[in-house]
Amino acid sequence: MTTATDTYSAATAAPVVGRSVPRRELADKLTGAAVYSADIALPGMLHGVIVRSPYPHAAVLSVDAGPALELPGVYAAITPADVPAERLAPDLPILDTKVRFAGDEVAAVAAADIDIARRAAGLVRVEYRPLPFVTDPLAALEPGAPAIHSQGNLAIPEPLALQRGDIDAGFAAADIILEETYWLPTHSATPLEPRAALASWDAEGRLTVWKSTRGVHVDRAMLARVLGVNAGLVRVIGPNMGGGYGNKDESRLAVLAALLARQAVRPVRIEYSREEEFVAGRTRHGGRIKLRMGVTNQGDITAIHGDAVMDSGAYQASAPGVARRTGQGMLYLYRCPNVRFDARPAATNKPVSGSYRALGAPQGHFALETLVDRAAAAVGIGPLEFRRRNHVGIEGQAGPRRSPPDEIVDGQPVEGGIPFSSNGLAECLERGGAAFGWDDAGNDATLKRDDPLERYDPAGPGIKRGRGMSIMIYRGGVGSASAAGLTLLPDGRAQLSSGLIDVGEGAVTVLCQIAADALSLRYADIAPVFADTDATPDAPITAGSTATFSTGTAVLRAAEQLRERILDAAAGHLETPSGRLAIADGAVFVSDAPARRVSYAELAQSAGGALLAAEVTVTPGSPDYIVNSFGAHFCEVAVDTATGRVQVLRYVAAHDSGRIINPRTALNQVEGAISQMLGFALSEELVTDAPTGITLNGSYLEHKSPTIQDYPDIRVIFADVIDPVGPMGAKALGEVPAVGVAPAIANAIYDAIGVRFTRLPITPDRVLDALAHQTHDADSAGTDGIR
Amino acid sequence: MTFRLLQPDSLGDALAMLAENPDAAMPIAGGTDLLSEIRDGTAAVDVLVSLEGIADGGLRGITAAAGGGRRIGALTTIADIAAHNGIRRDYAALAEAAGGLATPQVRNLGTLGGNLNQRPRCWYYRHPLTVCLKRGGDRCYALAGVGKYLCVTGGDRCFIVHPSDTAVALSALGAAVGIAGASGAVRTVPIADYFTGPGVDVMRENILQPGELLTEITLPPPASGQRSVYVKARERESGDFALVSVAASVAVSDGRVTQAAIVLGGVAPTPYRAAGAAEYLLGRDAGAVDAAEAGARALHDPRPLSDNAYKVPLAANLVRRAVSAALAQGANDD
Repeated sequence: MTTATDTYSAATAAPVVGRSVPRRELADKLTGAAVYSADIALPGMLHGVIVRSPYPHAAVLSVDAGPALELPGVYAAITPADVPAERLAPDLPILDTKVRFAGDEVAAVAAADIDIARRAAGLVRVEYRPLPFVTDPLAALEPGAPAIHSQGNLAIPEPLALQRGDIDAGFAAADIILEETYWLPTHSATPLEPRAALASWDAEGRLTVWKSTRGVHVDRAMLARVLGVNAGLVRVIGPNMGGGYGNKDESRLAVLAALLARQAVRPVRIEYSREEEFVAGRTRHGGRIKLRMGVTNQGDITAIHGDAVMDSGAYQASAPGVARRTGQGMLYLYRCPNVRFDARPAATNKPVSGSYRALGAPQGHFALETLVDRAAAAVGIGPLEFRRRNHVGIEGQAGPRRSPPDEIVDGQPVEGGIPFSSNGLAECLERGGAAFGWDDAGNDATLKRDDPLERYDPAGPGIKRGRGMSIMIYRGGVGSASAAGLTLLPDGRAQLSSGLIDVGEGAVTVLCQIAADALSLRYADIAPVFADTDATPDAPITAGSTATFSTGTAVLRAAEQLRERILDAAAGHLETPSGRLAIADGAVFVSDAPARRVSYAELAQSAGGALLAAEVTVTPGSPDYIVNSFGAHFCEVAVDTATGRVQVLRYVAAHDSGRIINPRTALNQVEGAISQMLGFALSEELVTDAPTGITLNGSYLEHKSPTIQDYPDIRVIFADVIDPVGPMGAKALGEVPAVGVAPAIANAIYDAIGVRFTRLPITPDRVLDALAHQTHDADSAGTDGIR
Repeated sequence: MTFRLLQPDSLGDALAMLAENPDAAMPIAGGTDLLSEIRDGTAAVDVLVSLEGIADGGLRGITAAAGGGRRIGALTTIADIAAHNGIRRDYAALAEAAGGLATPQVRNLGTLGGNLNQRPRCWYYRHPLTVCLKRGGDRCYALAGVGKYLCVTGGDRCFIVHPSDTAVALSALGAAVGIAGASGAVRTVPIADYFTGPGVDVMRENILQPGELLTEITLPPPASGQRSVYVKARERESGDFALVSVAASVAVSDGRVTQAAIVLGGVAPTPYRAAGAAEYLLGRDAGAVDAAEAGARALHDPRPLSDNAYKVPLAANLVRRAVSAALAQGANDD
């Protein structure tokens, strides 16, 4: 079992993979020295402010920036009439003559200081013609609903339909069919760092943008395209990021800053306010999921059918990916020959939903894993045993493989016939259950007399405890083409360059660890250069939990090539064939005469001007295996039946993410995911008012993210199943722990009070309402909960 | 949002500055509420009169008052109240209310006067785009919208709840409020008369007039056998206003309840005096009190909105819990 207490001594080049080396940027972050996008100021820099629509849906009849430009200190203003016609995305113009949510961008101004800029924004005269609006995704798909986009309110070209086998036959073979409708809230990722971008043009027409972003190369390509500038003239740099969660940024921010800067002929920085971050950032998709499951009396699952309508908000953003990931667990987590998933993401006049940690998977798993608990109860099998019998095994799903045999297998397959590269679900269930003390036969939900939770309330029904669990599946790290470069520096260190950005999860640290071991160097001797389009090879976005697996594979391949080149160079130096040479501690020596050696520094200095370097682009993944990551979560809750408040007391999370490169950053990832999704389960909802279309609670005070006092005691276990495909045996970890949190908690709440909540978040008012109905309906027993 | 900042160093100067700008000036102490209102555009202020530099008037600190009570200057911070041994001993409900509100940062900056005079948290009142009755608009948006956090009794065109935790505790403890007028003279009113509902003036929550300053709170001496508790239901452990809160203050003498005050927060536009619950307790044998019965009598004829009926059982449950705790505390002390 891996623990986070392994310590690291910086003095030797002993292997660091599997050890908790300190994060590269840790000291800077702890001392406040770390530079974020909004910290950067250039001489003459202006502050940009975006003019936002007060209407959820309106035609913009005219925009007059004249009064704003007359204000002293105002240098630029852009309106829908001033922007290039190119679109950021098919449904997202740079600025539009139609606004689609209260908070949508309609104009922008830049001024010498932020106060002038804010005043100027208020002086921009916008004439709106309000249009009928719709905030409910189901209503948005009805005929006659207000048309938010010309192509209709379905946010993807065709409804998504994924299927394997025949669900009609599957349901016909079932003894019991369970069915439920689930309602998911919209919630915000609440990054501590609001979105920010600084754009600066030089006299030669070169644009440099510093931006809070998940992908500098993707941003560069977008900026070059919409601004009509050669990509070689655009440089995007990603400074430190204060919380990414895949969520930054799919927005207009960078292009608006660049256009203002071009007009003002001065650098312009736009930093979102906290309220803008909530309302004009990107949220998790809410929506409605209907789920049906057929089981036999013996407890075999014969069919699963999920049907989702997701709330995409005003623009499409990540809707296609979210739709697919919502259903992936339904298609693949359990052995089942007949599965189908339908999804329709709908445009609404609400803040834009986007990519947020595990996209739709937490929503889909909430439905799946609470219904599985019901299925287990219906056939009289315990929750853990039911999952142990039915979870998908390493052989994958039954059924014919449909994709060509030489094609890399997608991380979210539909077809059967493809095994997993590794599958630690059994280990997660066993070890997690043991660590938690799970007992299918019955979890003691009664309170001990000396229970510290018991307030003095002898006349009340008191506090009830319950236990719940869930399992989860998510992409294992197979991403787009990924690149890494390694260059030996004259002092014998190695520079690792990657276009990837560390979104706060520790990608730089983990990739430096892989490079250090692969080159036999000390961790401290890897010099990382990341997230700068002028200095690093092309990279995909940091998303889909791909950094360790995909970029890690590129680092490993680059290191292998560089080792070959080092050996070749050393062979000349030592006048010994490379086959008789070995590498250790940043030097090459003759295997049977170790005193004959040459250091990396000597080799780098004597290469005659030629760099000892390697740059590699890989297509990650395998044509033979599905690469997925897994987990099993167990938790205990206390439900205060007097106040409706749910407290999660303790939590055990067991994860199969292959070999753990850095136990401490891995632990942080899991703890962070559980803490973050605690809000999704129990308290967070970004509320858009149905009558006015205005989003009401975009603040830390009212969008109730849990505080440190609400976090449970969390124990994390890694299954340490070594993956044969992943770099050094590693798989993805960033998102999978977020996937199963809500159902584990909801199942525990059912265990405590006998109420099956089908709507998140499970707030005190909902608990109290349910308990009131429960008392009221005490006579009408027979169902297993309240719908 | 530009304003002038005036920084008087005496109470007299502060009152004079407020009097010179009766409509445009606002006093500011900790600023934890007012500054966010100014930033959000929900408060329009031309002149801010900072109370920070005022040295006289006894505006800071907790001192003994005539007859064994306590006097708390309006600029005393919430954190100082929560930590004060005398308050913790004799007026536990106030110490608990102060110690559990908002966050450590707010408690360190925020003052008792500011906590009592803070504006409501109704989402519509606070949102720049929904100019409601309380902001001089023509309607209450909550009636058709989200009423989850709003009142279940006492609403009258406007359905706010008073957000102050300390107001609830002070109401149960029978405090009085000292108000200095432009002349410098201080008048004292019972706290029950200080807070006013929307029926009186939909744009105000208390009787404080422009140009006046709340300067002090006085607490009567604790009765023999008096003890008090504050319980607060919320959605997260820190940084959250009460869904419902209850301050219960009871005195038990010779086994009988001789004083009882039960006041609820989060249910009405002002601290809500649960007269029915107090009446039930008064004169009763403390050992024979059915706390659940007190809870059931707490709210008289509640009229919940479409989405806040949960507050009715919640109020009953919290009163039950507060009464049990207050009586048990006494039993342990004896």
